[in-house]
Amino acid sequence: MAVQDATSEVLVDTLERSLRNRRIAKHVGIFLTLTLLWELGSRMGWLDPLFYPRPSNIIRSFWLIYFQNANVWFHLYSTISLVIIGWVLGSMLGIGLGALVGFNTVIRRFLKPYVIVLEATPRIAVAPLLIAALGFGVNSKLAIIMLVCFFAPFINTLSGVINVNEERLELFRSMRASKTQILRKLVLPDAIPVIMAGERLALTAALSGALVAEFIQRDKGIGSLILVYTRNLNMASAFACIFTLTIIGFLIFKGMEKLDHYIAYWKYEGGRERMSSKRKRTMVEP
Amino acid sequence: MKMFKVTMLSTAVAFAALPSVSFAQDTVISVIKPTPRSAVFFPLVVGEALGYFEDEGITVNLLPSDTSIPYVAFIQNGQADLAMLDPNETINAINAGANINTVYEVMQNAPEGIAVLAGGEYTSMDDLVGTTVGLVSDRDRAFLQAALDITGHSIDDVQTVVLGESGPTLAAAIRDGNVSAISGSVFDWAALVANGIEIDTVTPEELLASPANTLAMNADMIEEKREAMEGFFRAWSKGMHVGATNPDAVEAMLRAAVPEEWEVEAAGMGLFQGVLPMNISTTERMGDLQADVWTSVQPRMLSSGAIKNVVDVSTFLNDTYIDAANDFDKAQVEAAAAAWLEAN
Repeated sequence: MAVQDATSEVLVDTLERSLRNRRIAKHVGIFLTLTLLWELGSRMGWLDPLFYPRPSNIIRSFWLIYFQNANVWFHLYSTISLVIIGWVLGSMLGIGLGALVGFNTVIRRFLKPYVIVLEATPRIAVAPLLIAALGFGVNSKLAIIMLVCFFAPFINTLSGVINVNEERLELFRSMRASKTQILRKLVLPDAIPVIMAGERLALTAALSGALVAEFIQRDKGIGSLILVYTRNLNMASAFACIFTLTIIGFLIFKGMEKLDHYIAYWKYEGGRERMSSKRKRTMVEP
Repeated sequence: MKMFKVTMLSTAVAFAALPSVSFAQDTVISVIKPTPRSAVFFPLVVGEALGYFEDEGITVNLLPSDTSIPYVAFIQNGQADLAMLDPNETINAINAGANINTVYEVMQNAPEGIAVLAGGEYTSMDDLVGTTVGLVSDRDRAFLQAALDITGHSIDDVQTVVLGESGPTLAAAIRDGNVSAISGSVFDWAALVANGIEIDTVTPEELLASPANTLAMNADMIEEKREAMEGFFRAWSKGMHVGATNPDAVEAMLRAAVPEEWEVEAAGMGLFQGVLPMNISTTERMGDLQADVWTSVQPRMLSSGAIKNVVDVSTFLNDTYIDAANDFDKAQVEAAAAAWLEAN
């Protein structure tokens, strides 16, 4: 019986791997076909070179900005560090305030209208005002990023906290659970998956916020580099920078997915088993 | 595994915290201007490459900003020591009660112009009447106003649209005939020409002799910042002198400092050749303030509506730093530039 189980597990694994490989191959195929069509279109003059530089030129630009001139690293470092710091600060503020508003009905009543008004305000439009008010430099850039990525964690934390399952809450109360126990054993496990979804949105928003800040304050960052390239009509390098941002955005998304799987493990298939076997190991190995 | 995670986390935190750490000891001069380090204002790059700012004990903190930011407010509230302004912005700020002084002329010939497609249907300012003219930024409206005024028209005779600084937008707008002309500057034309879009300028001659990109500061800080400002302008003037005597060295320094402007050789060279004469003073003293020119351009600005009142130039032109800015051994600067070129 055990041998049969192991064999079927191996078969399922092989099947899954084969499916995944086929899926990846399909995506790579589509990407290469589109790129080749783009290159062909550019060479045949069907595409306007002002807007669509040749993919081969973009590849050359990647080489130039990353290795030959190596001028992108400084800007990349600046943008990524801004995004991380802004996201952490914005999330802390969002989660903290969301929890406070969620747990306290009085604060919720007073703060809610202001938060709604602030959320309805186009935050990007206030960026120049923020820079004028807070001055030039990292602080105003961070303020823009925080403002852009604050709402998703705030709203999701608030909704996670206030939408606790009523029946389970009743059960906890009937068992005379303390407030801390309710928070730790009921509210947080229910809210964390929602908060993590907010965090994922916040991190991608932080990247956009950083770009807006760099478009206005042009001292450093990928945003300012894109401006230099587009101003000089060096579209291949501008695209190389834009694709760099796409890759960063993708990595951010995947990173957050991994973090979500790790933190809210009970939400995912196999997550509980992974954690349970890990705990078992910890108990066995002193 | 745990150790690995802790190390990764610590590295990430340290990595993220690094930008806030600074070890600057020099006097910091903050300058708000539209572009980051660029060929457009090469004396700064040259001064830094040859260590002239460092020799003066100065660190230049550039605040390159979009023109939607109120530059004058930055010098009034102390966030910037110097702001790069066009003449109409200076006059308007003075008229609005700003306590500022213009202390150095970075460019003494207007880099601005009105460009049309070469060989196209528009060949003079008169042809633009009734058409849509593109502006590179809101700053270029005043120049267009003045140009139309000189030729007997007004800004109401044309429609204007701000196109922004993005090269593809400017290029497509003029190439496809969406606009009849673009009011911008030599920096904008260089990229167009390098990409095969030939242009002609229809700028009235009278507008070419005009200070541009002048540096202004809070009048109350003139004495307090004297030493640092004198050093700053001396270093800038030395950079300017290298441009006048050894353009090859300047070109090499720019290639090293701003490689992104040279990735497309034709665009880099076009920009460099366009801005080189713009950055070299025509007055005897480098960066000197041309009171007569400032006086003569104001009635034109007034009649075109670019400014509300004419201002007595003696109230805001202050050449207190100019002598010190020119007080250096030119032969020594020339030798240093030649040595740099030799070594690099």
